[in-house]
Amino acid sequence: MSALLELRSVVKDFPPRRRGGPRVRAVDGVDLTIEQGHTYGLVGESGSGKTTVARCILALTAATAGSIAYDGIDLTKADRKATRRMRRETQLVFQQPTAALDPRMIVRDLVAEPLVTHRLAKGAALRARVTKLLEEVGLSPTLIERYPHELSGGQCQRVVIARALSTGPRLLVLDEPTSALDIVVQAQILNLLIELRKEHGLSFLLISHDLSVIGHLSDRIGVMYLGRLVEEGPAREVLAAPRHPYTRALVGSTRGKGAASLDAPPPLLGETPPAWAIPSGCRFHTRCPLRRELGSPEICETDDPALRGESHAAACHFAEEAA
Amino acid sequence: MSALLSVDDLRLDFVRDGRVASHALRGIDLELGRGEAMGIVGETGCGKTLTGLSVIRMLPTNATATGRIVFDGRDVLTLPERELRSIRGARISMVFQSPATSFNPVFPIGRQLQHVLERHMGMRRKESARRVAEVLGEVELPDPERTMGFYPHELSGGMLQRAMIAMAILCRPSLLIADEPTTALDVTLAEQILRLLRSLQRKHGFSVLFISHDLDLVGDFCDRVAVLYAGRVIESGPATELLVRPFHPYTRALLQALPRHAEPGTPLPAVSGSVPSGLEDPVGCAFAPRCPLVVPECAVRPPLAEVLPGRKVACYRWEVET
Amino acid sequence: MTTGVGVPWVEPDAIAPAATGMLARTQRTLRRDPAALFGSFVLFVFLLTAALAPWLAPNAEQGRGATDVGARELAPSWAHLFGTDHLGRDMLSRVIFGARPALLVAVAVVLLAVLVGVPLGMVAGFRGGRIDELLMRITDLFLSFPPLLLAMVITAVLGPSLIHASLALAVSWWPWYARLARGVTQSLRQAPFIDAARVFGVREPIILLRHILRNATTPILVQATVDAGTVILAIGSLSFLGLAAQPPTPDWGLMVANGRTSVVTEWWIATFPGLAIFLTTLGLNLLGDAMRDILDPRSAT
Repeated sequence: MSALLELRSVVKDFPPRRRGGPRVRAVDGVDLTIEQGHTYGLVGESGSGKTTVARCILALTAATAGSIAYDGIDLTKADRKATRRMRRETQLVFQQPTAALDPRMIVRDLVAEPLVTHRLAKGAALRARVTKLLEEVGLSPTLIERYPHELSGGQCQRVVIARALSTGPRLLVLDEPTSALDIVVQAQILNLLIELRKEHGLSFLLISHDLSVIGHLSDRIGVMYLGRLVEEGPAREVLAAPRHPYTRALVGSTRGKGAASLDAPPPLLGETPPAWAIPSGCRFHTRCPLRRELGSPEICETDDPALRGESHAAACHFAEEAA
Repeated sequence: MSALLSVDDLRLDFVRDGRVASHALRGIDLELGRGEAMGIVGETGCGKTLTGLSVIRMLPTNATATGRIVFDGRDVLTLPERELRSIRGARISMVFQSPATSFNPVFPIGRQLQHVLERHMGMRRKESARRVAEVLGEVELPDPERTMGFYPHELSGGMLQRAMIAMAILCRPSLLIADEPTTALDVTLAEQILRLLRSLQRKHGFSVLFISHDLDLVGDFCDRVAVLYAGRVIESGPATELLVRPFHPYTRALLQALPRHAEPGTPLPAVSGSVPSGLEDPVGCAFAPRCPLVVPECAVRPPLAEVLPGRKVACYRWEVET
Repeated sequence: MTTGVGVPWVEPDAIAPAATGMLARTQRTLRRDPAALFGSFVLFVFLLTAALAPWLAPNAEQGRGATDVGARELAPSWAHLFGTDHLGRDMLSRVIFGARPALLVAVAVVLLAVLVGVPLGMVAGFRGGRIDELLMRITDLFLSFPPLLLAMVITAVLGPSLIHASLALAVSWWPWYARLARGVTQSLRQAPFIDAARVFGVREPIILLRHILRNATTPILVQATVDAGTVILAIGSLSFLGLAAQPPTPDWGLMVANGRTSVVTEWWIATFPGLAIFLTTLGLNLLGDAMRDILDPRSAT
């Protein structure tokens, strides 16, 4: 098995919001490997940097430091041809399907656009290809002349997926692909993704705040907090036996556990601090229930813990204590 | 004991050019007891939000409502505007999904809350300030006096949601309508807000109409649940029973579609098709075209009937196990 | 807490996907909005008049400027519906021929302003940074002059004529379009569908033309329609001051200026061309508002 995508110490800074203000480090040294044909689930709350990681991978924004290698080629040093191939083989599926489609274009033109851009088909072949793609994502050909606003959310997401598939990609970046959809529609789209993954041998980078969606699709899971991966490992292990207190809080936040669960104290207090005021030492220490339990050891405030562990790693000074 | 709120055959149509353009609600029946928390669940377009807005008669300008919404003995739909205003925000209040857009950006939070008290309770400025500080403390905002001076953009999303809850409980309402109160929040924050709502409800004893698309969430928060489909209640009952043993095939479909209940990587049992739009006028059961249990009788719409004590369902085949 | 306001609201998916063709939207808008109907009627009459002036005018020669000193300052009658002016010309013919320079100037000024302003604004909005900063300071500079004053200065230097006046107006008008195009571009630049195009490897110029320009068309066309009316008003003012059209051009502003001194006694000389300016400007303004609904495929209601 070989790595399709490899991120090494990727950092992304944004300029300060006000002149002279602190710079904003949205992603702070992320290492991540997506194997050929595998699905990597990246989970985290707003401000965790998970979407910024995706934007760096798709070259929608340039990483400040670190390297991103696609199929063994470092994209920061790649030539035009390699960049173009990567553009073709890496596609994105958005959270807001309706916003991801140009409101002035009809379905046919939307699906044809990437094919035309990459000069993959024209004329009759182009029309045939568009029909085939729509069929593949389960869209009726009667919708071909509709505008996005005339489609339901689920139908729009199918169009987005058809566009993503059109260039024959190997990696799909799915940024909250179902969080704007209803439950039944979400199930339909997840089923479609599973089917397409099998049929085309696709790899996914799945980004979501919803652990149940992540757990359903992923082989490996990475948990992000304030720009860092705080835990990483095989999906089942991370969900069944989380090592980082933050992951434990996320797992503990899933609902459907009965009314009594609402009388227990909340798994976490407070809110994620802003990215321009990252706490010293372990960035999670301000909200960490484990630290409080252990009597606030000093190391949490002074030392920044690294990801430790072989296949299943956590960035916590006391990961072993909690297990 | 009589119900605090009873909704009887509530219908809501959108009108365009003098004609009915679509049916949003096609006859909603609900009953909510004092101190009870009732969940309204359903997919986009099923009418759950409009049901909530109807209860305070905050209807869209192009909508007409018929039926009865009896709150504490009076029909909200026929109340004079004046009396309605004294109920809205005082006896019945609302918590919305996005706190960021629910506050006026040019006034400090404290002033906006004080306005409510001064309008509804005729309080003086000093008195209202004291009361607002007290309630902000109740929703666990740190340093209430200081927080009162902040403008909405100076508060985080979680603090704003707390401030909105504070506004909702200022006048000690007997009914709180919460429309997706945690959907826009991070999961760990949503947990805090849910617990806050629960503890406030315990303390003050108000009833809650909890509108959500999330079955698990409703199951944990509510005593009873009503499931909406195409503008009608198709099933209702105690949360613990209904979500464990749903009778209506649509409720079952909703529960089975949750990835949490499935083996990872396997296809989810997702019913095909989509919710009928408000334009269609389905003859018989609205779910029939998508229903795995459909029989010829379904061409006549099944009424919402009490099939077991406390359990109502609008389906002829509710006893069939799947 | 929101108090009792009725918000126009539709539950997603609860409302009909109404007929969506441009023709259908036009019909619907005209049926519902009498102001839009009036606006389009005025524009239609205006265009028709300009095109068919020689055939519509009772006296085409006089419309172009021929005089008849024997028939000076006649009051409106069946022979001369709008009366005659100081040089005995039939006012109806003059007003009808006046539609030509008005149309020409309106189109020329707006087109020039759009052609200069929109590309600059789009580039500024899309690129941001230094280019944006520079271009916007330049537009600020232009915008800080009152447009009529600027036009007066320019025509004073170049010499009064309709072409110079049009040029002068375009100079003070393009920054508005640069501003508008920049604003629209900036808001679209962040839109997910633009990101989508980038991910597909669509090149920047194509993104600008295919996605951004097409979405910016509506506000620009709306603005252009409204401005066409304003330009007619402005050129009228300049002609009135003697800075634009020169006699014997059948220009409405010039005609108003001619009738100015005798407005109490020979009221028709100033009134009818004044009315023509008023109606055209009003009609184009009303039409501009209606265009918003017609051009946007999302406006289902």
